[in-house]
Amino acid sequence: MKSARQVRTLILLLALTAPRAFAHHSFAAFDDTKLVTLNGTVSQFQWTNPHAWLEVKVVNDDGSSDNWMVEMLSPNVLGRMGWNRASLRPGDQVKVVLHPARSGAKGGNMVSVEDKNGRPIGGPQQ
Amino acid sequence: MRAWTIGVLAAALTTAASAQFAAPAPEKLKGTALTPARLPDGRPNWTGFWVTPNGLLEVYRGPSGITGAPPGTNSRNSRRQDLPRLKPPYDKQYEDALRKSAAGEIADPVALCFPPGMPRMMGMVYGMEILQTPKVISITSEWQAATRRIWMDLDKHPSPDELDPTYAGHSIGHWDGDVLVVETVGVREDVPLDFGYLPHSPKLKIIERLSQISPGVLVDDIRIEDPDSFEDAWTYKLAYLYKPDFRLREYVCLENNRNINEEGQAVFK
Repeated sequence: MKSARQVRTLILLLALTAPRAFAHHSFAAFDDTKLVTLNGTVSQFQWTNPHAWLEVKVVNDDGSSDNWMVEMLSPNVLGRMGWNRASLRPGDQVKVVLHPARSGAKGGNMVSVEDKNGRPIGGPQQ
Repeated sequence: MRAWTIGVLAAALTTAASAQFAAPAPEKLKGTALTPARLPDGRPNWTGFWVTPNGLLEVYRGPSGITGAPPGTNSRNSRRQDLPRLKPPYDKQYEDALRKSAAGEIADPVALCFPPGMPRMMGMVYGMEILQTPKVISITSEWQAATRRIWMDLDKHPSPDELDPTYAGHSIGHWDGDVLVVETVGVREDVPLDFGYLPHSPKLKIIERLSQISPGVLVDDIRIEDPDSFEDAWTYKLAYLYKPDFRLREYVCLENNRNINEEGQAVFK
């Protein structure tokens, strides 16, 4: 049996190889060879076109905190992947996996989101 | 990581990569038949919702499609391999645009919330709706809520002085048996023809032959002629599957476009 970690690694590697679909803009601003995992608290969830946005407050080791901007696909696509406008609410504890911004900004392109119990929210975004 | 895991991963990655790039021939696609199959006037009934066969966000390009690059992407800013040779000054204009895009100096008009226009809106990445009336066949792509109207009651385009360049251009159509033949002119010069800044001249003419090759499988055979910018015509096919349960959703790009900076460049901020 594969361990949960191995399965997760497999899923993430598959996500890494998926072509970056063009719907609204090029995804060249994100480094799709890298994955960053955030554990934080939802500060805002914008269920909007052309992209949904998730803002996550992450507390750093030194006690400071950063607000990460996580770009997602559009509601029409996310909605067909099991997401809706109530999938996330401010204050929710989440684990977010993303492709980081090349600029070094605190943000990136969402790959997957789990709730505090490790349950996937909606479908992974590829 | 153990050897078997690496093997499994390698196999999975190979499968994923080939699956992403492989486009089945339209003849092999299985669709859902429309009812009724024909309208009262005897023409094929295509009214309803259609999606790209490879799934949402995958532009289907059929057997003549792109090689070596994922369908629908322009992140690598590379020249498409299936293009005819461009004539000056459009060849230089094209190379400059690709270079500037790679450097982040320019943005695709769609990222600025402009409509994709023709022919790009037919390579829709979400879904589309076809509505047929005797006078007009209307096609709306969920992508940027772009609509084009194919005038079935006109047999010629307006005179040059009356023809205002638009994003979708001016389309007139007629039936050749069960094939819908559409001719489009008058596409604005600032509308790229593909996802990678492909330019065109005012002489652009797009000729489409749309046919249902099997129940619920629609193919758009596209021929792009532009004697000023292309040395030869450029042809490709797009395919769509009928989805009776699909519903188009609103998509207003200007609602919350956070990807544009003060200079109008596409950014992440």
